[in-house]
Amino acid sequence: MNLAAHAPILAIAVPLLGGFALPLWGKIHPSLRNLWLALVASLTAALTGFVAVQVLTTGVQVYTLGASSPGETLSPGGFPIRIVLTVDALSAFMGAIATLLAVVAFTYAWRYLEEEEGKTLALTLGTLLWAGMLGMAFTGDLFNLFVFFEVTSIAACGLIGYRTWTSRGPEAAFKTMVMYTVGGLFVLLAIALLYGEYGALNLAYLARLIQGTTVDRIALGLLLGGFLMKVGAVPLHMWAPDAYGEAPAQAVILLVANTQTSLYALFRILFTLYGGVADPAIGWLVVGLGMLTLVVAALMAVVQMDLGRLVAFGAVSQIGYMLLGVGVGLTVISSQPAFGLVAIQGGIFHMLNDAVAIGLLFLAVGAVEKATGNRDLGNLGGLGHDLGWTTGFFLVGSLALAGIPPLNGFASKLMIYESSFALSPILAALAILASILLLAVFVRAFQGAFLGPRLASPKPVPTAMLVAMGVLALGVLALGLFPELVVRHLVEPAAKALWEGREAYLRAVLGG
Amino acid sequence: MTLLTGEGYWSPLLWLAAAAGVVLLSLLIWSRGRKGYNRATEQDLPFLSGEKREGVHVGGGHLYWGFVEGLRPYVERLRLVHSGFVGDYVAWLVVMLAVVFLIVLLGG
Repeated sequence: MNLAAHAPILAIAVPLLGGFALPLWGKIHPSLRNLWLALVASLTAALTGFVAVQVLTTGVQVYTLGASSPGETLSPGGFPIRIVLTVDALSAFMGAIATLLAVVAFTYAWRYLEEEEGKTLALTLGTLLWAGMLGMAFTGDLFNLFVFFEVTSIAACGLIGYRTWTSRGPEAAFKTMVMYTVGGLFVLLAIALLYGEYGALNLAYLARLIQGTTVDRIALGLLLGGFLMKVGAVPLHMWAPDAYGEAPAQAVILLVANTQTSLYALFRILFTLYGGVADPAIGWLVVGLGMLTLVVAALMAVVQMDLGRLVAFGAVSQIGYMLLGVGVGLTVISSQPAFGLVAIQGGIFHMLNDAVAIGLLFLAVGAVEKATGNRDLGNLGGLGHDLGWTTGFFLVGSLALAGIPPLNGFASKLMIYESSFALSPILAALAILASILLLAVFVRAFQGAFLGPRLASPKPVPTAMLVAMGVLALGVLALGLFPELVVRHLVEPAAKALWEGREAYLRAVLGG
Repeated sequence: MTLLTGEGYWSPLLWLAAAAGVVLLSLLIWSRGRKGYNRATEQDLPFLSGEKREGVHVGGGHLYWGFVEGLRPYVERLRLVHSGFVGDYVAWLVVMLAVVFLIVLLGG
């Protein structure tokens, strides 16, 4: 059996089945559970990496479940009836982000989580969330997109609320669950409408058939509503600060990856499924929501005194930049493809930059909480005396998120500023204003928590947590110093997959 | 190593070289300053509003106080929207869906 040909489905199956096996190993001994998790994580990372290399070297990868050969996407009647995974450069890019954050989260969790505080449960839910994210990224089937949407929703809500001995965690999980459920129903209804109209669920097949009828447009509206909610676009973002603020740090960075996976799904719907019929009005809608998100979230971050919620609003505002970049691209790409491509590249590059920088900040907040038992900026101070590495990591993450050169946030924000300026200077001005607000927010947080005289004696931060933060900090520096390499080899193929690569995506599944 | 950004370009290494030049210039100016500074003496103590105080910390709630107060009228309106009630969250979802439908159905 050629295992390499099965890599796309194995990348999903290994964490899914490995996650369910984790509690069994945990029952025998925690060390065996840790060893099993390391094995599952290494194998999944290797498989995701292998799929990405295959996509970048040979093009779109297709895998048909239940077929005699993985490439046999069509039934004898010329109809894609089986479940098909379709992995293009954007799917591989998203899979790589999810994998990076998952591996870092598990490294961090090794010493961050206590055995008696549901460590096995948290690791199991984290692994299932990872599997769901890879499923969303790799699937080429609309109904399976919904199934993995639900897998990620259930695992994410579990991760937010599993600490039942705190009151706010379960409350945040309940709110998130309500929103995810309503959003999920929108998505399911949209899929039902499209299935009723065309009798198909395969994304590529539907993309060929969609003509922009009223039913198609209603389905698009429902899909937009569902995914914009899970992305956390203002005014549908309110669950996000609650969830990010209450979940443990290793879970929060998985939630960040989960949000980005929903953003990926939104782009896939807009460009691949509706690319042939979508109009600039939808692009303007995405641009408007992006602007609203980055400004409102930055303003809300200004007055936060809880370090976790402050970073959470910072995370929401970054989603605004991604929506802005891709929204500008969506608005102009049919009339000015080169200009639109740069805008989309900016938005997609910012997904990676944000994942690394905001992940670093959330982990640093977790380290502060573990070391001091406190996250209130009114009570923290002088942590830089004792937590040197954590202080450095928080500073690097803050500056990167605020878009200070030469760190990674700057390069992608510059691409977004320039492209949005060309569409309307007001957009660029507001985006820069939000960045300035965020800089003020993070300078204030840094001064409040880390500078000044020593106010308490924090416990040392375990090495595994420092290593996890160090990996992300190195990522911030590397992406900041060599943006051209990343854009050329990863971001540009991913952005092209959305527009120029649409036909290749459809051909890979449908032939012709 | 230069990233094309549409209208312009970005070269982090060039920026680092320029930053290094600025740092060197700053060090040069600093080295020509007064030599009378001594660490761990009263010269290290903060001097706030005419009062010498040891162990004083300008906490997160105090930094940029005027800046935050200036923004407060806008932020308070936003705070009202963030009620914490899940019913309100779902109501916003319904409102948003109506807006999306309006744009999607009338847009083209």
